Amino acid sequence: MAPRLAAANLIRLNRRTHLLARAVAVSFCLGTLIALFYAERDSALPALRWLRLHGLLCAVLAAIASALLIARRRSLKRAEYARSWLAAVPVKVSAARWESLAIETLPAIAAIVVLGVLGVACALVLVLAKRAEFFAPFAIEAYLSGGIAAGIIGSYLVPQPKPAILPPGSRYVPHQKVSRAGGVRPSLRALGAWPIRQMFAWAQPKIVSRALIPILVMMPMGTTADAAMVVIAMFGTMGALLLLWSAVIFASRAARSWLAPLPVPRGAVIRAFLLPACAVIVAAGAIEALLLLVFNVSYRTSAQLGACTALIGCLTVGAALVWILGHGRTP
Amino acid sequence: MTSPILEIRELRAGYGVRTVLENISMTLAAGDWFVLLGPNGCGKSTLLDCVVSRLIPSGGEICIAGHSLSTAPYEAKLQLGYGCAPDVLPGLLTSRQCLEVHAGAKGMAAIGDDLFALADELKFTAYLESFVDTLSLGTRQKLAVLLALVGDPQLIVLDEAFNGLDPASALVLKRHLRARIERRRGALLLATHSLDIVEHYADRAAVLIDGRLKHAWSKDELQRLRARGDDFEAALAEAIGEP
Repeated sequence: MAPRLAAANLIRLNRRTHLLARAVAVSFCLGTLIALFYAERDSALPALRWLRLHGLLCAVLAAIASALLIARRRSLKRAEYARSWLAAVPVKVSAARWESLAIETLPAIAAIVVLGVLGVACALVLVLAKRAEFFAPFAIEAYLSGGIAAGIIGSYLVPQPKPAILPPGSRYVPHQKVSRAGGVRPSLRALGAWPIRQMFAWAQPKIVSRALIPILVMMPMGTTADAAMVVIAMFGTMGALLLLWSAVIFASRAARSWLAPLPVPRGAVIRAFLLPACAVIVAAGAIEALLLLVFNVSYRTSAQLGACTALIGCLTVGAALVWILGHGRTP
Repeated sequence: MTSPILEIRELRAGYGVRTVLENISMTLAAGDWFVLLGPNGCGKSTLLDCVVSRLIPSGGEICIAGHSLSTAPYEAKLQLGYGCAPDVLPGLLTSRQCLEVHAGAKGMAAIGDDLFALADELKFTAYLESFVDTLSLGTRQKLAVLLALVGDPQLIVLDEAFNGLDPASALVLKRHLRARIERRRGALLLATHSLDIVEHYADRAAVLIDGRLKHAWSKDELQRLRARGDDFEAALAEAIGEP
């Protein structure tokens, strides 16, 4: 018996009500992709030709990505299994081996299946369009699938990455330790600090460094270092705003439950959350305007864009707070 | 005649179409330590959630210190202190900030020294500047109880408040709660599985089975059990019809 697969299957059965919705969503996505490919077949063909011509390169890249991701997944899944509720269940060695293989390589197998479906769909479109290159999608699919399969084998050669154990979020929160000998100062002000701290807690160094990689990759060749710094700062500012917005929603939802038994007016709680968040958003808008100025955008346009960001940010945060805290019997 | 600290009349509550509590009526007078017992999933926490306004009942009425929770929630909640589950506490605030928020919400100018004295007795003072997400389960439990006592409320509601506490801290807390409700003429509603609290501290107790109050013990009945030196476990088994 393979306990983890059996448990996963039971969970899937418990969620069977969503199966139809999922199938409809997947069919819709696939249909949209095929329709797009059919509509843009003339412009897509050169890309297909390029991919077929550089099939070996694509296969090597797919193999490297697959090897790294599967090695990481293996490490995570093994650490997860060691702590799971099924860890003490007796499993035969052979069953445990193939179960682990299936779980660890699941995304790679899924990718091969998806590539197969897409390959067949693209080939059908090309046949319908009476194009001679209908074999190209199969060739590309074979290269990529071969690369992924080679990556699965290669993942065993990759050194096992250490399983990441995330420390408490407060580790990354800038906080001045004050030793106040006196009593507490009753106030709701601390609520305003909560989303900002949550933003710092989520923006852990490892996550930020990973988010930077695609931004650096997207930079065109020949970009100067100072231009790159400005672009990174711009992405950082926008990322911080997005995180803050999510943090306000997260913290206000949690506060709704925590503060329910307290005699505090909703307006006071909304104000306590909103004012510090808006201050940060306005500061981010100002930074955005300054960065645009560095990019030689006119004063007027920079100020307009900065103000627009600040206004939209404050309005959306305010609306989210009113939506979450403003209805129901309790704050 | 003074109004009871807590009055629940024909309470009905549930989640969606599932009814968990049916026709619950009970009253807590000044000085009552009331223990709510019952098997897992019988509705103890649901009842407490209704009393502290975390769940809106589908029927019935709850009054705290004479104020209806549905028509005068502000006045009712001013007299209420609730020890929430440790996982509900905000991880990224410090313990001191949690106390500040609770005191600010109750419109207090300052927190009384007795609360800090209790924090000292519970060996909690050292954690006042620590973030909640760095605290152990027991320390969070102490914070949750301290938050319930902010504002010296007339009605204290605690859900499994002694879980995770070391025996010494649990003893300090039980004695403090006993003294507090007698001094304040308040009331304590505690949901627990610990029968020793019923045997040594409670004034009244009731057992909830399948969302209904199956049996209740008055102050006199509990005192008689204590005087006879009887085991409360046997009395509970008899009340719920277990062999």
